[in-house]
Amino acid sequence: MRSTRRLFLLLAWLGGLATLGAFVATRLRISTDLRSFMPAPTTPDQRLLMEQVGEGPGSRLLLLAITGRDEAQAAGLSQHLVASLRGDARYTQVLNGSFDLASLDAALLPYRYLLSPTLDQNRLDAAFLRDQLQQRLDDLSSPAATLLKPLLPRDPTLEVLQLAQRWMPARSPEVRDGVWFSDRGEALLVVQTRAAGFDPDAQGLAIDGIRHAFDALPDHAGAHLVVSGPGYFSVVANAQTRGQAEWIGRISSIGFVLLLLLAYRSVGSLLLSALPIATAALAGIAMLVACFPQVHGITLAFGFTLLGVAQEYPIRVLSHRRAGEDAVQSVRDLWPLLFTAILSASIAYLAFYASGVNGLRQLAVFTVTGLLAAGFSTRYALPYLLPLRVRDVADMAWLHAARRWADALPRPRWIPLAVAIATVMMLAGAQAPFWQNDLSALTPLPQDLLLRDARLREALGAPDVRYLLIVEAPTEQGVLALSERWEPAIEQLVATHAVDAIEWPSRYLPSEGVQRARQQALPDRPTLEQALQEAGQGLPFKPGLFAPFVDDVQRARALPLLTPERFAASPLGQRLAAMLVQRDGRWLGLGTLSGVHDMAAVERFARDSQGQVRLLDLKVAAESLVVDYRARILRALLVATALLVLTVTLALRSLRRAWHVLAPMTLATFLVLAVERVAGVEVSLFHLVALILAAGLGLHYALFFERDIGDAAERRRTLHATLVCVASALLVFGMLAWSSIPVLRAIGLTVSLGVAFHFCLSILMAPHARQD
Amino acid sequence: MKMLDQPLVVSGQLAWLGGDRLERRVEHPGNEVSTIADGEVTQQRDGHEVRRFSLKRAPQLQLLLDSFVALLGGDPTRLEQAFTIRRDAVDATRWSLILTPRDPRLAQAVSQVQIDGRGNEPRCMRMQEADGDLTIDLLGELAARMPPAPTREALATLCAGG
Repeated sequence: MRSTRRLFLLLAWLGGLATLGAFVATRLRISTDLRSFMPAPTTPDQRLLMEQVGEGPGSRLLLLAITGRDEAQAAGLSQHLVASLRGDARYTQVLNGSFDLASLDAALLPYRYLLSPTLDQNRLDAAFLRDQLQQRLDDLSSPAATLLKPLLPRDPTLEVLQLAQRWMPARSPEVRDGVWFSDRGEALLVVQTRAAGFDPDAQGLAIDGIRHAFDALPDHAGAHLVVSGPGYFSVVANAQTRGQAEWIGRISSIGFVLLLLLAYRSVGSLLLSALPIATAALAGIAMLVACFPQVHGITLAFGFTLLGVAQEYPIRVLSHRRAGEDAVQSVRDLWPLLFTAILSASIAYLAFYASGVNGLRQLAVFTVTGLLAAGFSTRYALPYLLPLRVRDVADMAWLHAARRWADALPRPRWIPLAVAIATVMMLAGAQAPFWQNDLSALTPLPQDLLLRDARLREALGAPDVRYLLIVEAPTEQGVLALSERWEPAIEQLVATHAVDAIEWPSRYLPSEGVQRARQQALPDRPTLEQALQEAGQGLPFKPGLFAPFVDDVQRARALPLLTPERFAASPLGQRLAAMLVQRDGRWLGLGTLSGVHDMAAVERFARDSQGQVRLLDLKVAAESLVVDYRARILRALLVATALLVLTVTLALRSLRRAWHVLAPMTLATFLVLAVERVAGVEVSLFHLVALILAAGLGLHYALFFERDIGDAAERRRTLHATLVCVASALLVFGMLAWSSIPVLRAIGLTVSLGVAFHFCLSILMAPHARQD
Repeated sequence: MKMLDQPLVVSGQLAWLGGDRLERRVEHPGNEVSTIADGEVTQQRDGHEVRRFSLKRAPQLQLLLDSFVALLGGDPTRLEQAFTIRRDAVDATRWSLILTPRDPRLAQAVSQVQIDGRGNEPRCMRMQEADGDLTIDLLGELAARMPPAPTREALATLCAGG
């Protein structure tokens, strides 16, 4: 009857997993916004940084370059690409150098009199109009005639062109065949995406959209489209990391299966030991789905890595089975120790929860749930399924030899002291800097991509993503008024070539005060008609030709003032919307800088504005954010350590025994740090995460070695289990250490080194050996 | 011109600078120099800022360039590429070319260009814009014979060989 019960249990377990799987599959929503893996900002600058990193105007810009068979083809493609991308909801702005009047919405056309500065100095009186009409007459006989003819009846003062000039990027590349060209003969375009720059999935869709549009163009054969910019980088980095992690994962999974087959020579045991891990993973994800609206992709990737610890539980059970002993009985014997191990690993991972970073919190929930699920299913379900007859690993000949060799190792009492001194010396002697504060050092971007981006950015005069000028006021209008007030100084900075160009909110929309003044300066219908008639005397314009102009001016007199919301319906308004940010009931206006030549002048300007205009260096803010982040993790680690000491001491009911467990673990952790520092590695957040994982594994080794009792066969089993665990961890993380991606390498190298050191130190510092 | 109740008359020089470059210099009334080069038009007028725009936006100029450069450079293939050509020989020495732009976008702006000449010298160029406006360029010695108050008809007669 036992076999029926086993079958029933197995089916129930699989059924449970399937249910969890179905729940997860329907409810799981994966997010890829990298910002949820960044620390919660504390200062205003940091908060602004977080918003800007993802959504700032600079980070949403994609730079495109088209190389064709010849320039004419490239120019044609540039025009067609713009035509097919405009109107696509994924892009808020598409520019290629040809200013299109269509970008000023037809419904907004009468607003030109409120937006253009013409009325600040002039009135629409006879003298001004006369001069304008005279100029238009010259225009009509000039080559520009076809260009201007359609505008003339409605806009004899050419306000639309004034605005076009004002809104053209101040420093734009050379225009050939009507579009921007780089000095290498590439047609250049700028596309602003609606999606945040650091959301690789959304950016991927936006970039695919551009590529599809390009491939669908007639006559694109032989031409080549190059994309660059922060969004593109996040896609590349994401794909690279995912790609490498996948092939490394495949190879190490095969190795892992082979290793377990070799260790236990039983396919049944192998398959069954996978059940607790599957349970851990599914339970972890299910818990995440229940607690968070969206699960981050990185949480899952890191989470599965960290769950590697859970693989130890079934391994321990398999290795510690005695020949003929009931599996349930052997698990019962093992449980107190195993439970301590599970509990302490959970405590170590809980440290992530205290970090206050959303992504890391998810990681903590996932791993702790997973560890508990793996542990309890190993204890209460797995043993009832395991085959009755197993091979006792204690009888393996090589294990006898290995145990004898391990026992014969010299274990002088000074080892811990010597290792501690060496560690301190290495840490002290290593070259500064200790910490890696630059987040971008971890983004695995090929140098040529970065160089190309710098070249295109330079050619296009695209804004530098590093600096922002900020004006702040309680209302949007306040921001626009402040922005207006400092516009002359901004223009001065450009005029003196301190900066090539500055995008500034009031360039796009004057404040209501200024708009109202301009509106009030517009003449009423009889006055305007009278002035127009006077101005047209002796000029050959047909009577009544400018009726649309008179109508527009009258319309402009009655218009409600243009607010950012109303403006936002047009592409230009979108550009403005990206520059106005509301935060905590206050409004910020953001100015972006292009081609900074004299940072000191910009700093001086910000200083002289007495705090009305602030200069934000996003790189400095990012670094301060990382420092904060680290401080939080270190603090959390401290708490976790204290809890760990308490748990281990309580579980072992002896300070001395706790010391034998915790000392090798602590020493090994610092030793890894010291060796990496001597090797010139600057410590990043990922190294810290990896150190915690390694410490969790090391704690297990130390716990089991510390338990080694007189029974020689049991001690062989312990060694067997630990060797299998160490070999599998080295296999998985050693592979990661070969990765070319800094993040993966940091984790792989740190955990591999950690596993090796933890193993050596816990075997050398195991207490029983000296008593032999 | 539809917008105006009398024709607009300017005089000056048109110069081919080689390649795809053309210079149009207005001397009366006022001074204005326009240059077409590398697909861009630069327009400079006394006391005003330089205005630049793409040749693409000025189809008239594009056709002027196409026909003029081809004519002056003696490049019949180029002329063939840009236009369908009808050639009328009026008599032994006088001829006229009627050019219809092949590019539909250009044809939308300018429906026809007619060049009248005598011997191997073009004397008159008429550009019929699609909106009904007509531009007539009197070239060479004919330029001096521009009437003070020209009408379409008078100029047409002049071109036809007066």
